Amino acid sequence: MTEIVVAVLLGGGLFFHAVAALGVIRMPDFYTRLHAVSKAETLGVMLTLAALMVWSGFTLTTVKVGFVAIFLLIANPTSTHAIGRAAMRTGVKPWLRPPDTTE
Amino acid sequence: MSDALVAVLLGLLLILAVGAVRAADLLVAAITLGVYGFVMALTWAAIGAVDVSFTETVVGAGATTVFFLAALLRTSRRRSAAPGRLRLGALLLVTAVGTLLVVTLHALPPLGDLAAAPSVHVSPRYLEGTRPETGTPNAVTAVVADYRGYDTLMETVVIFTAGLAGWLLLTREP
Amino acid sequence: MTPGTLFLVAVLGLMALVLVYLYRVLEGPTVFDRILGLSGFGTKTTIVLLLAGAMYERLDMFVDLALAYALLSFVGSLAAARYFERGGQHR
Repeated sequence: MTEIVVAVLLGGGLFFHAVAALGVIRMPDFYTRLHAVSKAETLGVMLTLAALMVWSGFTLTTVKVGFVAIFLLIANPTSTHAIGRAAMRTGVKPWLRPPDTTE
Repeated sequence: MSDALVAVLLGLLLILAVGAVRAADLLVAAITLGVYGFVMALTWAAIGAVDVSFTETVVGAGATTVFFLAALLRTSRRRSAAPGRLRLGALLLVTAVGTLLVVTLHALPPLGDLAAAPSVHVSPRYLEGTRPETGTPNAVTAVVADYRGYDTLMETVVIFTAGLAGWLLLTREP
Repeated sequence: MTPGTLFLVAVLGLMALVLVYLYRVLEGPTVFDRILGLSGFGTKTTIVLLLAGAMYERLDMFVDLALAYALLSFVGSLAAARYFERGGQHR
């Protein structure tokens, strides 16, 4: 039973990591890539760490993995926000849809 | 399995090292070196040297990146003009040293060899003595903080003094 | 499939995904993409380290290391972002 839960959570985590990687490679400009990393990757991290917590049961290690999860939940969006703000203030222009492709 | 992971990590290290050296922009070189530090730390962890990995994370990935960025903020991102022509003497020396290292590689004991000299000389003394003598679960920590505690204390004093001096120099009003 | 094989598959998958961030670090195009790659690398290595710890059955030892990884990757990205906020030259 535990193994099935671990497998499902790991698979979900890997899926969202893959979505983040796809965004990083395929999105048209910096801000959209940032968006892919900050959301999809955080969810992937949470699911992967949840799999590890389920796998190791009720121990001190589980609590520490939980600490890592909480820290990453706060730190990942914070650092992506800081990078995005720095880029905005430095004058990196967001991508807009080219006018000739409307309709 | 560990071998495959280590091989992948070493390949990443090579790519990152070449990228850092070839970067035209010093800020890019500093960021690439930060990533290099992370991969290096992961490599140490993959071959079982967890304490070295810890140090590499703090020094290679954390402190060095921050220091490089702080230095670049106060100086310039531009690197000096393109280096001159290839110096044959230096190339020869580097190739010779590299060949020497590769040739003497087979004299090293394999990873985790229990019969190797370092594993039979002093290691058993500390591995067996750590728990009853100091009560510390980690043997490396016991050696650093118990068996050679004064040495570590003096090292800390030296690093603290150096950090203090650097901070005072860098924060001085020009 | 045993949990060990499961974790191995996850580690190999993440190592393959890391290549995407490697491309962003090495190719840019803007310097912020490289910082983004640094941040992504930090998160990925934290996860890979924890999964490797679970694989070696020494998660208790690797989890402390992973906490330091996460912390320093955070510090590294923040320092890189602060560089521009503090008026570091762009270009």
